[in-house]
Amino acid sequence: MPMSLTKRIDDLSSRRDIRSGWFGIITLFFLAFIILPTVYVLIFGIMDFQNLSNMVLDDPEVMSLVWGAVFTSFSLALIVTIIDLIVGIPMAWIMVRKQFRGKKLLDTLIDMPLAFPTAALGFSIGIFWGLPVEAPVPPGALGIVASPYILIMLLHIIFTYPYMVRSLSAILEQIDQSYEEAGMTLGASRMTAARTITLPLFRAGLITGFILCFARSLSETGGTFIALITVGQADKFFTGPTLIAALKNDLVLGTTDVEAVLAVVSIILIITAIIFLLIIKFVLGRVGVPFDKVWPRWERVLSRGAVPKAKDVVSFVWLFAIVIIPSFFIFAYLLVPSPADMDWSGLLDALAYSFMVAGVVTLADIVLGVPLALYIARHKDKKLAQAVDSLVNIPLIVPTTALGFSLALFWTTQGLVTNLTVLVIMAHIAFTYPLVVRNVAGAVMEVDPSYEEAARTLGAKPFATFRTVLFPIVRSAVLAGAILAFTRSLGETGATVAVSPDANTVPVYIIGLMNTGDYYLAAVSAMVLIMVSFVFMFGLRYVIRREGGTY
Amino acid sequence: MPRITLNKVTMRFGDIYAVRDIDLVIKDGEYLTILGPSGCGKTSLIKVISGLWIPTEGSVTIDGEDVTDVPIEDRHVGYVFQNIALFPHMKVAKNVSFGPRMQGRTKEESKETADKFLKLVNMLDRLDMFPGELSGGEQQKVAIARAMASGARLLLLDEPLSALDARVRMDLRYEIRRLVKELGITVIHVTHDQDEAMSVSDRIVVMRNGSIVESDSPMKLYRRPNNLFTAYFIGETNLMEGMVSDKDDRNILVKLRDGTDIKVGGNRQFNINDAVVLSVRPEYVYTAKEGLSAKVVQVIYMGSYWRVVTRAKSEDKVEYNIPKHHEPPAIGQDVELVFNRKMSIVYRRPKEGIAEAVRLE
Repeated sequence: MPMSLTKRIDDLSSRRDIRSGWFGIITLFFLAFIILPTVYVLIFGIMDFQNLSNMVLDDPEVMSLVWGAVFTSFSLALIVTIIDLIVGIPMAWIMVRKQFRGKKLLDTLIDMPLAFPTAALGFSIGIFWGLPVEAPVPPGALGIVASPYILIMLLHIIFTYPYMVRSLSAILEQIDQSYEEAGMTLGASRMTAARTITLPLFRAGLITGFILCFARSLSETGGTFIALITVGQADKFFTGPTLIAALKNDLVLGTTDVEAVLAVVSIILIITAIIFLLIIKFVLGRVGVPFDKVWPRWERVLSRGAVPKAKDVVSFVWLFAIVIIPSFFIFAYLLVPSPADMDWSGLLDALAYSFMVAGVVTLADIVLGVPLALYIARHKDKKLAQAVDSLVNIPLIVPTTALGFSLALFWTTQGLVTNLTVLVIMAHIAFTYPLVVRNVAGAVMEVDPSYEEAARTLGAKPFATFRTVLFPIVRSAVLAGAILAFTRSLGETGATVAVSPDANTVPVYIIGLMNTGDYYLAAVSAMVLIMVSFVFMFGLRYVIRREGGTY
Repeated sequence: MPRITLNKVTMRFGDIYAVRDIDLVIKDGEYLTILGPSGCGKTSLIKVISGLWIPTEGSVTIDGEDVTDVPIEDRHVGYVFQNIALFPHMKVAKNVSFGPRMQGRTKEESKETADKFLKLVNMLDRLDMFPGELSGGEQQKVAIARAMASGARLLLLDEPLSALDARVRMDLRYEIRRLVKELGITVIHVTHDQDEAMSVSDRIVVMRNGSIVESDSPMKLYRRPNNLFTAYFIGETNLMEGMVSDKDDRNILVKLRDGTDIKVGGNRQFNINDAVVLSVRPEYVYTAKEGLSAKVVQVIYMGSYWRVVTRAKSEDKVEYNIPKHHEPPAIGQDVELVFNRKMSIVYRRPKEGIAEAVRLE
């Protein structure tokens, strides 16, 4: 009897002790199932320090490998983010301030890399820019990048680019253009006005964009690993996350205690990631760039004629030559003759498994994430809610490989969970949960509380208020969060591999195919994964666009 | 029929008092307005009455029953919000039938109730529209219908008209009054607009800094406010500093700063040498052959009359009105001013000074 059940929940929700209890349970779930397992490896490191130091820390050969990989990760993330910033600002400007034909198409194109599972992207980049060792190269590949560092950089620029452009344009849209126009009526050239008036207001967008790009680059595993396999460097060149993947796939250090090395790499990645991001937040938040100085003559020259046009042209060229064409290059495999015997069953199995995992993960995210989002958004004055609000970001900035390893370590050493699939699902929940919470909490904060207050004064119980008033208003944000979580889970490699390289998701299946030299099937699998993600991606855009129209 | 009593209600956030020690009784069917400058605690007070906030101290009773701990949804109090707050995803009909539905009535009954109240506010033809398709005034009418359709016998109006255009605001305020009087509903209306308060209320409560300054009928508050702040906040008035120089059994004499003596009726509670403030509304200031000397500094055309602004010899700014068909004085001209003896009110001079005593924030 569903009616009487909702009625009963309605009545219960009227009691304040029940409400606090419910939010308490959700917060507890969040702390015990998301945060603790994510950072458990740190506790493990402290408890097992003696062992780790004997096995790993005192071994200079291993440590130089570890530090080298971590350093590569950070320098790569920093360079990639700075490049994104430089090319992202003009693009954000074009998207927000200019009206032209085909703007919608451009908007879609910018989001494309988000729809590409990074595993597929890594393959595409490897064969387009790199020098593949075994993989057949379709016609049109450039094959000009020999350095694995530059190759990975080109790869990371692609999937971080949308995050930067999106964060910047989101803020730019909120900055009233009349400030800039006021500046221009007071005699500032367009560039001076943009630089001295709009840019300083921009800081929040810069920080968000910076952190998103940096964390994403730092965390990425699958695409990086696959690109490195393609050019035959996976056992020689490492980022932090690919070192974990390589260790898990037994590509390096055959003799040492792999678990201990994994623990050390994970600990270093988690700690440095958190510290580094705190520093970025602090530095970008406080230190002012010298915006005050003005060079009226030069800036006037730069504001007119060819220079702004050239800037726009460069933005477009960058989007196509660096981001779009290399991403889509994998479809050139359709031009390569297929081997006679194609075994589809492996791919179908992997797809079914990936869908099952992503489905369960998304469902759990919504059921457990929406209440937490409500708690965060509607109790902003409470200390606990503020603390939870900051903690939610942790799984977003911790590299997923380290997260997966830590989580698996937590549950298996306690002997609580040993089932592989359950562990994979739990790991995927941990890093997708914040996506749902962030999306929904953001949307709820935008909703004027007086809607809910009005419903309450009209006699609706708290749960009925949520059902009938708040949820319908934020429904599209919930759906958007769900689709994001679903696609992220579908495309995730790092966390899965770190839990176990035997978990048969599509990205892991692709890595397996490449390790055995089945490049053609790997390419087909990647294309299928891209197509599936595209369907969801367009679903997401449809949902978000419709949001504006209903009321 | 609700009779609301507030007993020593205090709402505190940390060290800041939103309202402090409020005692108030609201009668059945009364149209009560809480008037005060922004930040005076008037909205806090009705949030406490509605149950949206739970007071830090004190209690609220409705019909003699203590409702301090009764959740909002069980108080049956209609609340109309400043930002209107019609549910954007529901059509007008669904918005208005929301209250009855939530009280467990059937769809048909709820729809009937909704239709009845929409008809009362002349919005029956808007049934199938979304709130976003209505004008601001129409939206607020629907919001009022929604609040009443929930069966509320007490309606709380939280600055309901301040988001609307001036013309719509005027029309709607009389319509609200007509409606609630017809239905015999008790209303607590919060506003910072003294015109609005004057024109619709049975009684006005003037609030400032979280406390009640005074409460009375609009006419009494305008003609004989007990408090200097009320005199200044409701309507317009000239405030002049002076000292009581003489008194007899009918009048007192106030000596202004330039030595001019002004005779004022009543006010016999003051003694000679008391420091006082004289308050006279512009419409009770006239020109004469002899009186308080002043120089015209500004003449403003107000449509139905002229407003003349003068600087008196006593250093006070004094304003008066002259009919529109009269010739206004020239700027710089000297005039002699006298005051209506009965309509002049004397207050004890506040220790903190006049400016501080009438400051709005």
